[in-house]
Amino acid sequence: MLNLSAYYQPDSLAEALALLTHSGGELRPLAGGTDLVPALAKGETHLDGLVDLCKIPELRGISRVDDQIRIGSLSTFRDIENSPLLQPASLLREAAAAVGSPQIRSQGTIGGNIANASPAADTVTALVALKALATLESAAGSRSVPVSELLCGVGKTKIRPGEVIKEILFQVPPQGSSSGFIKLGRRKALAIARMNLAIIITVEAGRISRARVALGAVGPNPSRRPALELVLIGQEQSLPLIDTFIIAAEKEVSQMLGTRPSVSYKREAVKGIARELLHRLFFGTGQVVG
Amino acid sequence: MSETSIVGKTVLRVDGPAKVRGESRYGADIDIPGALFLKVLRSEVPHGLVKRIDAAEALKIPGVVRVFTHADVPGENSYGIIVKDQPALTDKVRFRGDALALVAAETDVAAKRALEVIKVEIEELPPLYDVWAAMDEKAPEIHAKGNILTVSRVKKGDVDAALETAAVVVSRRYTTQRVEHCYIETEAGVAYMDDDTLVIKAGTQNPHYDRRDVSRVLGLPINRVRIVQSATGGGFGGKLDISVQCFLGLAALKLGRPVRIVYDRRESIIATGKRHPFFVEYTSAATKEGKLLAVKAKIVGDTGAYASYGPATLNRAAVHATGPYEVLNVDIKALCVYTNNPFSGAMRGFGTPQMAFVAESQMDLLAQALQLSPLEIRRRNVLRPGSLTATGQRLDKSVGIGATLEAAWEKACQVMPGLGGEAR
Amino acid sequence: MDLFQLEMKVNGEAVSVPVNPGLRLLDVLRDVLHLSGTKEGCGEGECGACSVIIDGELVDSCLVLAPQAHNREIITIEGISADGELDTLQSAFLEAGAVQCGYCTPGMILAAKVLLSKNPKPGRQDIARGIAGNLCRCTGYAKIIKAVELAAAGLQQKEGEAGV
Repeated sequence: MLNLSAYYQPDSLAEALALLTHSGGELRPLAGGTDLVPALAKGETHLDGLVDLCKIPELRGISRVDDQIRIGSLSTFRDIENSPLLQPASLLREAAAAVGSPQIRSQGTIGGNIANASPAADTVTALVALKALATLESAAGSRSVPVSELLCGVGKTKIRPGEVIKEILFQVPPQGSSSGFIKLGRRKALAIARMNLAIIITVEAGRISRARVALGAVGPNPSRRPALELVLIGQEQSLPLIDTFIIAAEKEVSQMLGTRPSVSYKREAVKGIARELLHRLFFGTGQVVG
Repeated sequence: MSETSIVGKTVLRVDGPAKVRGESRYGADIDIPGALFLKVLRSEVPHGLVKRIDAAEALKIPGVVRVFTHADVPGENSYGIIVKDQPALTDKVRFRGDALALVAAETDVAAKRALEVIKVEIEELPPLYDVWAAMDEKAPEIHAKGNILTVSRVKKGDVDAALETAAVVVSRRYTTQRVEHCYIETEAGVAYMDDDTLVIKAGTQNPHYDRRDVSRVLGLPINRVRIVQSATGGGFGGKLDISVQCFLGLAALKLGRPVRIVYDRRESIIATGKRHPFFVEYTSAATKEGKLLAVKAKIVGDTGAYASYGPATLNRAAVHATGPYEVLNVDIKALCVYTNNPFSGAMRGFGTPQMAFVAESQMDLLAQALQLSPLEIRRRNVLRPGSLTATGQRLDKSVGIGATLEAAWEKACQVMPGLGGEAR
Repeated sequence: MDLFQLEMKVNGEAVSVPVNPGLRLLDVLRDVLHLSGTKEGCGEGECGACSVIIDGELVDSCLVLAPQAHNREIITIEGISADGELDTLQSAFLEAGAVQCGYCTPGMILAAKVLLSKNPKPGRQDIARGIAGNLCRCTGYAKIIKAVELAAAGLQQKEGEAGV
């Protein structure tokens, strides 16, 4: 049992925001609860009370208007994994499908994944590659912040007390794009990513005209790697390009981790996941030839 | 062969239907109205003398009925399947997780809160985390009889002479790790008095042994203790030891009320036995034809704070140290050593898996040194009918290892095409 | 703290109970409703022993706060054998020898139930993925996968016989 002194289950966002504001930071929002509930039950986290967001309709739903996609923050990983609207952003679907287990994907939410600010958050790596924006709502108003700027360290965000992530917005990658996500874990299910990688490429006239590369679990938060994007831009999709990319990726990971003990493992491991993902994007298969 | 009703037939398990319906009652599922909740206060330090336990604040919490300590144990405060060295509630801490006090309360929440306010004063002693430090003559004694609990020996022939004449000698050191059983059901159970008989229902692999030790610890005649094994969610050797039984018995007996206890996963991992970590120095010698001449080994098993099945585990390790191979000259010494680590006990194989890793690694190294295939060196050494084991037992009936090896090789060649090329 | 009037449908029956909102759904099922077929193995979503079905989806009931199940439909292991008859999956688990200690079995059967509701003809990989959140420590996965295959085949046959 959780030791709570207050619990609220508002059925509108306005009500939830009012509760959070009036509590003066005493109350915390609860999304899916897959991290917070066990931490509270085991006494690892203490807080005064919860504002449970699970019954608020405004926080649900996935929709598309023109080229912009909106994902309600309480959308579960399962919703995202199965949403046909997200077909053009397959990296996000793949990232959602890589989270935890069927049980976790039914309950965990994308908003919770962001707010939890884990270095290994799978969907966050994909959102960073998509240059997604988070809409933060509070009783005072609304603001829009890139997901990459919202995170500022392990378990730390710039979400202010009284604010709730309402939705995530991003532009569908342009025509000619393909994207993917890959995760390296100690096992296939219920593994926290040792590393994850999300890539979007756009091909025009046989050459990569645009590339986005994001790496997770290599720093405090997932981040875009412009140096790796430059390796791809302007090139043809080829096996030699993959070789060039993995050399650059190894260098990038080495620089990011410096003298941390995980460096010798991760600079090697990134080569494997990068090769597999690029193979899939370039040639439609994850099989590594030769 | 004549037709039988069971042999060679598929038989539905008798407990199957209840299990697929979710109707089997495991230790945590037994519903006894009015049962008190028990929680155990465990030591945060690995080694020390308990000077004082002050439960005054805990007893002020509404719902807390009683706090027990070592002073409340009515019988002999020591249990263990082989050596009676483990107290139910201790006055000397020997590992981080040793039980100091037992709280009985009307609710789970009150019991948990009580744990937070019990004050314990411990005079800390230097902790011994590795077997080598524990075997040092100057090491503090974890138990009164010293830190080396048992020494098992297997000797046959003349190892030193054989080492002189061998074409190849391989010596290596090996270490294996501590392993948690992680049965999916954590330890749990209930207890109540049925007239003057104490009834304990708990997940266990060892009800008869539980009964003897509960009766010893509580000072009850054995015919006044009844142990009922509830449906048990895995054990793998880990539920051979006493876990919750003495706590349940003590509280039910002293309070005359039904009681229940459930370990959470954290407590289950902290408080219960593990597979023994082994530290092995191993020398193998063979002729140039790859025939084993001698094995000399020193095996040290870390049994942690309490013996549990340690002496049996190290004995089995010594007996099985040469693997399924015929060796003429053998000199094995296996020591079971106390440390301030979590205690080690029975786990699937009783020390044999650790030694299989060592003995098979040595076979591969010998094969490499002699430029033989790993398969061939094994073929030349496996036990067969007529072989003498390391302990001098003649195997005069069936011995399956040779046929098993060939069958495994045949299967491997089927599923891994191209492998056959390496066979000789 | 105020009690929460929890209303939900459990195994087809409407339930309305006042609960401490700090309880997990697992606690309510086991301790309040006495449905002890749902097990706690780890308390942190790693083992799946506490799996239940909420509105058709598999969840770990140790990760769900009881009020989050408000106005939703819950199915536990006790709810899948209609009129005392074993469900096809339950029979298949028995037939395939997929039950050993039995502690993972309720969660495993519910995971398979959700899988088959979405994918009536799963391949071995699909089954492995469907039960990936459920641990068996007695080393029964091969037989569990076999049991799910048997159940899938059995359900196909039943549908065939019903002329669907």
